[in-house]
Amino acid sequence: MNYELRTKNYELRTNMQNAKDSFYIALRTRLVTINPERTILLRGTVRPGILVEEAEAPFTQLPNDVFVLRWLGLAVDMDLASTMAAAECEILYQTCGTQSFGGLDRGRLLSEMDEELMGMLKPFYAPKLNYATTPPAEMLTQVFWDEPGLGPVAVQRDRLSRSAKVMVYSYQEQGE
Amino acid sequence: MSANWFSAPAPVARRVRGYFAPVNRAAQTPVLFDASEQGGFSLDAPPAPWIDLGWIQGFTRKPGSKSSPVLAGIPAATLEQVRETLEAQVSFQFLSWTKLTMALATGSQHMNLLAPASGAAAAADGAQASSAVIPQSGSTASFIALAAADAAKFTAGSMVAIDVDYAGQTGFVGAPVAGAYVRQALTDVDYIRRVTFNVGLVAQVSSAGITLAEPLLGGTPQAGAKLQALIGFVDREGGSFYQEWSALFVMQGSQGERILFYYPRLQTAAGAEETAIPLDGKHADGQARVLLKGQFLALPVTDPLDGERVLCYRSFLPAPKALV
Repeated sequence: MNYELRTKNYELRTNMQNAKDSFYIALRTRLVTINPERTILLRGTVRPGILVEEAEAPFTQLPNDVFVLRWLGLAVDMDLASTMAAAECEILYQTCGTQSFGGLDRGRLLSEMDEELMGMLKPFYAPKLNYATTPPAEMLTQVFWDEPGLGPVAVQRDRLSRSAKVMVYSYQEQGE
Repeated sequence: MSANWFSAPAPVARRVRGYFAPVNRAAQTPVLFDASEQGGFSLDAPPAPWIDLGWIQGFTRKPGSKSSPVLAGIPAATLEQVRETLEAQVSFQFLSWTKLTMALATGSQHMNLLAPASGAAAAADGAQASSAVIPQSGSTASFIALAAADAAKFTAGSMVAIDVDYAGQTGFVGAPVAGAYVRQALTDVDYIRRVTFNVGLVAQVSSAGITLAEPLLGGTPQAGAKLQALIGFVDREGGSFYQEWSALFVMQGSQGERILFYYPRLQTAAGAEETAIPLDGKHADGQARVLLKGQFLALPVTDPLDGERVLCYRSFLPAPKALV
C-alpha cells in the first residue's frame, strides 16, 4: 500500500492514540537525556521542551526553543494480519537566539535543535504503551518511524524556524 | 484491554547489516553461526570471530539452483523433481571503504601499499618497502610495544601493517585471514605484510610503543611479526586468488523480529566495481558517493545434521508475542 496520506471517506477502524502518545513520550524521554536544560514553563509546571500542539490550549504564536508536535494525516492498510496505521507528525521548532548575544546566535541554536531532533528520533522505534491507564500499560507491539524529512529554514524577522515531517507507523492490537 | 499475542504482518526493516568471518582456507573450514544460540546478539557487538562491516545497501539474493523434472508415463508428466545444480549469488554495496570492505569487494587478493624505502624503484603494487621494526614483548591486539627509537618512526594518524616475514613458503599465506595463495616462491620478504589483514590506525605514540585505534583483526601479534607503515591499499583486476569468507546478514524488523542469512562460504564472483550515487538527486553531475559493489557466489557445505549440501541458512526469530 502507498502510505500517501489522504482523507478517508469511510470509517477508520483504527486508533492511533496509543501510538501518538508513545511516540511523544519516547521523544520527550530522549530529549531529557540529550539536553535536560531544554525546558518550558507550561501551565505552571516546568517540563521538557517538547509538547503536543493538540493537547495544549491553542497558541497564538508557537513558543520559541521548544519542539512542537503537530499530527497531520492518517492512512491505514487493513489487508495485513494486523491493521497498520500511519500518521504523519510534523515537528516544528523555532528560535530567536539568546538575549545575551542579541539574537546573533539564532543560527547556532537552530542547529542545536536540528541535532537534538536527530538524536530524539534514534532509534527509529519505541515500545507502545497505553497511557490512558495508570500506570501506563505496556502493549505488545512497537511504534516505528522513518527518517525525517527536514524543511528549509523559514526566516521571520529575527526568528528562524524549521519543520520536520516523520511518518509514524503502528499495528493495531486487539482492544485498540 | 490487550491480548497476550498479536498477528504479525510481514517484517518491516530499514536496512541490512553485514558481518564477515574468515574461512580457514588451508583447512577448508568455514565459521559456524548458530541462530539458536547466537541469533539475538547485539548488532554492535557480534560474537567472535564475526567482524561487523556495518550497514550495507542494495542487498540482493539471487538463487540459481536448477531443478529438472523426472518424467514418466505417456504422455509424459512430471513424477518428481531433482535438483540438478546448486547455486546462489549475493550482491550488495558497502557504505564505507576500509581494508576489509575493499578486500571483500575485489575479485582477487587485496594488498597494503607499504611505505616505500627512500629512493626505491616504482612498482604498481608498491615499491620496495622501508624496513620493518620488531615489536617487543608485551604487545597486545591494541598496543604494539616498541623500542623508543622504533616508536619514534611512527606518528599518530599513520597506518601500520603487522605480520611475519615471508620466508619462501607456498600455499595460503596470512593468519587468521588468508590474504593470498602463493603458487611459487617469491623473493619479497614483506609479501605477507603486503597481503595481511592485520592493519590498523595509530591512535597514539609513546616511547613505549604505539596504541591502535581498533584491535588487530588477528589479535595479539604472533611471534616473529614485524611492523611496517602503510599508506593505503591496492588491488588488481585479474589474478587467480579468490577471497572466501563466511558471511552473515541481518535484517532487524520493526517489532523486534530478526531475519538472518548465514552463508558458510562466500567467494567473490566479480572483479572490483564501484557505483556512484549522487548526493543530491537533483544534481546528478555533482558530488557523488562512491560505493564498493560486492558480488558473491555461495559455495556449498555439507550439513552434518542430515548430510545435505546447502549454500545458505535463512533463520527467522519472530517478534516477541507474535503468533507463529
